[in-house]
Amino acid sequence: MIELFSYTFMQHAFIAGLLIAVMAAVMGAFIVLRRYAMISDTLAHVALVGVAVGIVSGQNPLWSAVIVSLVAAWSMEYLRYVKKLYSDSIMALFLSGSLAIAVIIVSLAGAFNSSLFSYLFGNILAVTQEDITTIAVFSIIVFLFIFRYFDELVFVAFDEEVAKVSGIPVGWINFLQISIVAIVVALSIRVVGTLLIGALMIIPAMSAMQFKVGFFKTIVLAILYSCVSVFFGLLVSYYMALPSGAAIVVTALILFALTMGVRRN
Amino acid sequence: MNFRPLAIETELLSYDIGNLTIIEDMSIQIAQGDYAAIIGPNGGGKTTLMRLLLGLAQKTKGTIKLFGMPIEQFNSWHDIGYVPQQVLQVDAAFPATVYEVVRMGRTVLKKPWQRFGASDRAIIEDVMEKLGVTELKDKLIGQLSGGQRQRVLIARALVTQPKLLILDEPNTGVDITSQKKFYALLKALNSDYGMTIVFITHDIGVIADDIKNVICINRKLLGCNAPQELLTCSTMSELYGVDAHLLHHHH
Repeated sequence: MIELFSYTFMQHAFIAGLLIAVMAAVMGAFIVLRRYAMISDTLAHVALVGVAVGIVSGQNPLWSAVIVSLVAAWSMEYLRYVKKLYSDSIMALFLSGSLAIAVIIVSLAGAFNSSLFSYLFGNILAVTQEDITTIAVFSIIVFLFIFRYFDELVFVAFDEEVAKVSGIPVGWINFLQISIVAIVVALSIRVVGTLLIGALMIIPAMSAMQFKVGFFKTIVLAILYSCVSVFFGLLVSYYMALPSGAAIVVTALILFALTMGVRRN
Repeated sequence: MNFRPLAIETELLSYDIGNLTIIEDMSIQIAQGDYAAIIGPNGGGKTTLMRLLLGLAQKTKGTIKLFGMPIEQFNSWHDIGYVPQQVLQVDAAFPATVYEVVRMGRTVLKKPWQRFGASDRAIIEDVMEKLGVTELKDKLIGQLSGGQRQRVLIARALVTQPKLLILDEPNTGVDITSQKKFYALLKALNSDYGMTIVFITHDIGVIADDIKNVICINRKLLGCNAPQELLTCSTMSELYGVDAHLLHHHH
């Protein structure tokens, strides 16, 4: 197994995967608790538009995915808060709409090929040195924001109205939260894939919540579940030549089922 | 008549939703150090009035002043503690300990980039001790009874050491023994610490001796009196549409 880590592509996959695992677990816990779990899936489909634009234009798809996800996340919040549309309808609209746009872009460009497939389900061979740099830079930004606003995020997740009355800038915190989720989702397209990142954000948080412990401990457990899922998922992906995202999500699911079984009483 | 500075003052306050007037030309005054109850029937605009005072809803007309400052310019929100209805507001599945919930109240006073410090912890622990929730600190909020949850939410409102405490229907989902403790606590906060207390209720049975000011509303302001005077006034029947009378509590 040691030789596995001597391959540069595996080192890249592990570095990228574990950075994403930590960010996805933390932000996943917040969106699960705010009953906003589907947002990650929606933004993942939106990220696919960014990937399509990147593939067609010859730019790095990671960057275009981040930009498109952010713009979509902000548009969704605008429709929700300013236009007062129902949030589940907005998510359905963006999810299907962006998939349609992505498919049209890649079809017109004749780029419907295996490279697109790897963005759907993740591919450990796809993580380049440039991707690692991009993911690392965004991770630092994301971790700084989480560190700075952690207590505010917790308060708003628990009780938005009281947080607002106490003087927390709730609008800014919500904007920040959805922006971070958009970035995390977009960054994970290489390793986890757009169709599966939603699961990696949600399942570790759900497993951690089975322990019925305080918020901080729940977050730590979610990070642990997420990292273990990514680690074993990547190993399985390597040895069985499976798409990495699928292997990671199935590992997370097995851990969730085991936790449910053990914590039943 | 009132020489103490005001904590809350509204003048000709109105709030409409479309063509429907929820609150009409309401002018009320609550002095600092007052212990006031806002009472009225369900649908009478109590919750709306509270939301307007807390900045959670935007008035249609009139003015609101908090501690003498127009609400648009008011920014010391940590001077106001808000206790929502625990049955509505607490998500029983939320993984947060009692300590974590109480600590949330101090978030806004924490310095950016810093964790909660020793002085924060001292205040949090002191408030928890006073509210009798220290033993519960590691329990999850969802595992508590209604009365315990209420005390936790009050503790969260008190950790900023506010000058004004606003409580929404504080008796909903709380047993009688807890209610008694709760009124003793409000009385102590008011008399020992000079905290202004305002609570909102549809339950006229709870108006206790300690309360200095009763504000009756049903879309309009119907009366603003000491509870003893209210006993003799015709406001009760106007308020509830029947020959209601006020029961006096003696602790």
